[in-house]
Amino acid sequence: MPEPRTLDALLQRAAGFPDTGLRLLDRFERESWLPWPEIHDRARAAAGRIRGTGVAPGERVALVYPTGVGFFDAFFGSLLAGAVPVPLYPPVRLGRLAEYSARTAAMLEAVGARLVLADPGVRRLLGEAVERARPALGCRSLDELDAGPPFQAAVDERALALIQFSSGTTVEPKPVALSQRAVLAQARILNGLWPPRADGVDSGVSWLPLYHDMGLIGCVLPALERPGTLTLIPPELFVARPAVWLRTISRLRATLSPAPNFAYSLCVAKVRDEELAGVDLSCWRVALNGAEPVAPRVLRAFCERFARWGFRAEALTPVYGLSEATLAVTFSELGRGFTSRRFDREPLAAAAEAREQPDGIELVSVGRPLPGFSLEIRDPAGRALAPGRVGRVLVRGPSLMDGYLGRPEATAEALRDGWLDTGDLGFLHGGELFLTGRAKDVLILRGRCHAPSEVEHAVDAVDGVRTGCAVAVSHLPEGAAGEELVLLLEARSELPAADYPALGAAASRAVRTATGLAPDRVAVLAPGSLPRTSSGKLRRQEALRRWLADELRPPAPVTPIRLAGAVVRSSLAMARSRRARGRG
Amino acid sequence: MSASEAEVLAGIAAVARAHVGFQGELRPELRLVEDLELDSLKMLSLALEVENHFRVCLDQEAAIETVGDLVAAIREARDA
Repeated sequence: MPEPRTLDALLQRAAGFPDTGLRLLDRFERESWLPWPEIHDRARAAAGRIRGTGVAPGERVALVYPTGVGFFDAFFGSLLAGAVPVPLYPPVRLGRLAEYSARTAAMLEAVGARLVLADPGVRRLLGEAVERARPALGCRSLDELDAGPPFQAAVDERALALIQFSSGTTVEPKPVALSQRAVLAQARILNGLWPPRADGVDSGVSWLPLYHDMGLIGCVLPALERPGTLTLIPPELFVARPAVWLRTISRLRATLSPAPNFAYSLCVAKVRDEELAGVDLSCWRVALNGAEPVAPRVLRAFCERFARWGFRAEALTPVYGLSEATLAVTFSELGRGFTSRRFDREPLAAAAEAREQPDGIELVSVGRPLPGFSLEIRDPAGRALAPGRVGRVLVRGPSLMDGYLGRPEATAEALRDGWLDTGDLGFLHGGELFLTGRAKDVLILRGRCHAPSEVEHAVDAVDGVRTGCAVAVSHLPEGAAGEELVLLLEARSELPAADYPALGAAASRAVRTATGLAPDRVAVLAPGSLPRTSSGKLRRQEALRRWLADELRPPAPVTPIRLAGAVVRSSLAMARSRRARGRG
Repeated sequence: MSASEAEVLAGIAAVARAHVGFQGELRPELRLVEDLELDSLKMLSLALEVENHFRVCLDQEAAIETVGDLVAAIREARDA
């Protein structure tokens, strides 16, 4: 058989390896085994049903499934039917259905979904989203579609393999279109990093959601390409009981498992000793850390906390990537552990130069470009910069996106002459990439990208906020465990300063209600404090820079207790000022 | 409030204290998102831990908005 060039051909080949496949954990940690031959059979049957709906080759089919066998039926079924799958988040648990519906409708519209396939359990929660987006063939579950003869289309390697979202948002969803060629290139590059060894074959464990690039493209597709075995944990189980992740790695003697920075932090915070009886993590050879900025403090705390259970510090492997490059772009050297260096703060903050300095800010290396990738640091005018100079990170390689689906202007901005502008800022030092911040406006929280506008719209609706005068930015403060969400907003001019703390609290609540994100810091500013462009648009990254440099009023960290205290103090102050006026 | 309602409410309160750090009094009219001030991560934990505590599987859960809704959903799931 010739080397497969498409995902359907990979699945066909994997069907010849009945000892490999997916092991799925349910929320009681019970395992079920789904070998690739069975996944292939089920996908052919699903493709027959999907084809019967009238979906044409290249048309988009949105998938709304929790981690489980249904996802794979729908995903591979759509591919075998010749359609383009678009994995979306299943509904959130408890509350916020209205926000979920708006977000899902926006994503369905952005990809022009012809059909929505959903798990029977979540389908009835999709009513509102489907009503708004009106996909031509409606929202169906696979088993209610008419069974047709099993089917497998012939797919071209230039066809789209799937669409993923660079940020899930109601305001400006950006659908990243990935070709079969790009997705396969990425899977092959990743597998090339851990070739079969004399002492055994690598196997993975992942709790990452399947609508997330690191979960689907980083874990499932390499397992398919190899073909090998992968164990999947439902993400909601991990979030509630992070110990399950560590127990599963230990029980199955897994060697590979990736997660964003927050997952390592969550383990340190939540896993209790008694949950790890008999656990031995010495098998865990590669603990990838990507999808959000890597905090050195978290890596150290994780090593320290879990060394007793055999965790090896050299397993920690910081990586860098973005959905527009399919997934990974740079990798730290395997088996080395994480590397950090300290750099002089001032020239770094001014985005100029990286100079090593013993008591400077500590940054973690995200390694070198993967095979086939090149990387350039450029100045704002597009000129390449020398090592040690800070600038925009551009990448070129075999797995870049075709573009943003239906968004030619956005595509032209991101992709130029074969180079992808990542929108991230960084520098090269000793041949390795260090990231210092972002030129693009995006919030990265818990491994996911969010559009700032989504948060800002929620703040805008709060009484007392100057309309259109709020910015949301995220950044990794020195010594923190992860990215913090910062709100900078201007109060209306008639609002007395004594009311600022209460306004900050109200804005914080509004954001949590609308987005599920909890702001870490809120600064309420006098009107006109935020920097703008000549056309009046807010400059988010400049606002962040000034806030960090103390050039905007410095806010106090927001905790519920502090907030409550601030509110009480502010009302006391107001009462005092009223009394004072009364006397005067 | 029947004994069973009170018992379910007390169970939710215990779960909320142990798993999402909620302090204070849990009343049926409180809204999960706005009043309990839980972010999406904590909401996930609460849902899963409540299910484990009561050994139920919640249905239509995204439409659950208040503590009272949650109590009703748990009681319904237990009777089923």
